[in-house]
Amino acid sequence: MRTNLRRLLPAALLGGAAMLAGGGAIAQDTVFLSTQLRPVEEATKMRQIILRDAPGRVTYVVDEPAPMTTRMQAELQGGSRTVSVVGAAHGELLPLMDFDGLEPVGDLAARLADRGIPAPLMESAKLGKDAPRYIPWMQATYIMVADKRALAHLPAGADVNALTYAQLAQWGRNLQERTGRRLIGFPGGPTGLMNRFFQGFLYPSYTGGLVTTFRSAEAEAMWADFKALWATVNPSSTSYNFMQEPLMGEEVWVAFDHVARVIEALRTAPDRFVTFPAPAGPKGRGYMAVVAGLGIVKGAPNRAGAEALIEYMTRPATQVRVAAEFGFFPVVKAQLPADLAPGVKLAAEGVDKTQTARDALVSLLPIGLGARGGEFNKVFIDTFTRIVIRNEPIRAVLDAEAQNLRAIMTATNAPCWAPDPASTGACPVN
Amino acid sequence: MTARRVLYVSGVLVLCAWVLVPIYLIALGGLGGRLGVFRWPKEFLPTGASVDAMLTFLQIEGVWNAAKNSVIAAGLTMVFSVVLGAPAGYALARFAFRGQDAYRLLVLLTRAFPLAILALPLTVTFIRVGLYDTPLGVALVHTALALPFAVLVSASLFMGIPREYEEAAWVFGCSGPGAFLRIVLPLALPGLAATCIFAFVISWNEVFAASLLTVRERTLTAYLLAVLAESPPHFRYAGGLLLVVPSVVFIFAVRKYLFSLWGITNR
Repeated sequence: MRTNLRRLLPAALLGGAAMLAGGGAIAQDTVFLSTQLRPVEEATKMRQIILRDAPGRVTYVVDEPAPMTTRMQAELQGGSRTVSVVGAAHGELLPLMDFDGLEPVGDLAARLADRGIPAPLMESAKLGKDAPRYIPWMQATYIMVADKRALAHLPAGADVNALTYAQLAQWGRNLQERTGRRLIGFPGGPTGLMNRFFQGFLYPSYTGGLVTTFRSAEAEAMWADFKALWATVNPSSTSYNFMQEPLMGEEVWVAFDHVARVIEALRTAPDRFVTFPAPAGPKGRGYMAVVAGLGIVKGAPNRAGAEALIEYMTRPATQVRVAAEFGFFPVVKAQLPADLAPGVKLAAEGVDKTQTARDALVSLLPIGLGARGGEFNKVFIDTFTRIVIRNEPIRAVLDAEAQNLRAIMTATNAPCWAPDPASTGACPVN
Repeated sequence: MTARRVLYVSGVLVLCAWVLVPIYLIALGGLGGRLGVFRWPKEFLPTGASVDAMLTFLQIEGVWNAAKNSVIAAGLTMVFSVVLGAPAGYALARFAFRGQDAYRLLVLLTRAFPLAILALPLTVTFIRVGLYDTPLGVALVHTALALPFAVLVSASLFMGIPREYEEAAWVFGCSGPGAFLRIVLPLALPGLAATCIFAFVISWNEVFAASLLTVRERTLTAYLLAVLAESPPHFRYAGGLLLVVPSVVFIFAVRKYLFSLWGITNR
């Protein structure tokens, strides 16, 4: 051991010294910190395919949303910046305004005006200020994917593109009776996006709201329905993070998930699957729009590089490539090519059917919760766990969790966002 | 074969399986490709095994730099915690001083303190001092985490070495430090090796500080493995397999000292 230590010590110290000395050598690159496209495969494609042709040298780093916010604040306070561009979902960029962490990008937006970014997106990019604080980057939503074999078991008279929750439940029962298996799947795993299903799909569809209607009578009926539906859902759903693998592995035939988390299944076997919008409830077909944006960090070490990178990322050609690789769709006017890979085309159809459904009811990602977004999600997951998994009485659980929800809303003073009606002050839990 | 022998052999087999079966299953998952993970029953040998997932890992841009950072940070952590921890442990073992018990408890407090609360001020301080985004900075935080173990383990280690040996060395003309170096240290080495392993593993596996305090110079865990949870299962298995390898190699390298620590010498 003594010899080992002797050998290791100088090497380690030398290495450390070399790292210290070499720290400033790559000062000219643009550091692009993103909370999107985090998983290994996606980050690799981002580095090796999308950013390969970007102007200048771009270092792509990923962070989870909460550490991203901490880092931005720390770099601002510490007075030394490494990150120039931050890419994140709308709701994740918003907390950065608490410490004024993003530069206004009005001039850049003016230069990119011919890209055709929809006005409502540009409006919400202002984050409540006069000038836009980020440039919209890409958008997505959640869709349903089904194995074609499942279509034969649809309830009589049901149109897969205009499904209701009642029909989905019947579909699940049919599948279970005829195949002996529970073939509907939800991403209810530890990093799955099940919370978004409750927030953007189930609640709006049944109650027309989210926070305001959290403990309404409609919500009570909704949870009873969902509990009945769950009896036909694959019990492994509480461990699925991405639905693409269970779909490919034929563990489930009908699944709900974020487009980017089923795209690999569609790409691998486009002939096996169909895509369609999430079901509708009594109040409409709720769906959640996801918009990610690119912001320039206050005091960015490489402002010119940052602007060049954003210009590159919003080029129609880049946007189409991003769509083809990740299943996140363009925010600019870009024609998806006719020769799009069949899997991506399937995903695009699913998104299109969702957005253009006659009874579509759009909801936004939570806004204004800052660091407490995690607690907000937990309310919904806890409500689900207690009612559906642990079989607790619905009314009691809704009343108890409404207290938690109210506490979060009061503490953050977050006003209502769509589909809840606008509020002055904190969004009320009625 | 006697019954005793059968018992012995089957015991050995069970213990081997205990360790090897999980590793084997991880390997199957890592080598079986995207769909292999879902196949059931598992095939005994991975047919159509592909090293694609493993190769993807090794070809990720920056993965080697991250691995280098991990080794540097873990190496420095190991050195710092032994260099700082062993003298503290020696003092605790050999000298009686006021507040000794309180000190023992206080040392553990760094582990009780949630790092998440420190995140912002720690990062700001590191930026101001110039340690932000360096493996040295990461190693310092990891040393703080590993030090309690180093101090307490080495204290009990030195307590186990009779004081009389040292006194005998003094009688035969050794100076204080000389006696320590020639007599105490060789006896303590196996235990110090275990301390090293603790420090190494703590640093190797730590994600939170490593990802918060670095941007470009991330450690392997922060760069890659932090996002593994969001990756498809075959990637998780491949990553797990890759992560097991360095620990196994390291423990294999120091096994002699570990065995002698446990009283089985010369194996």
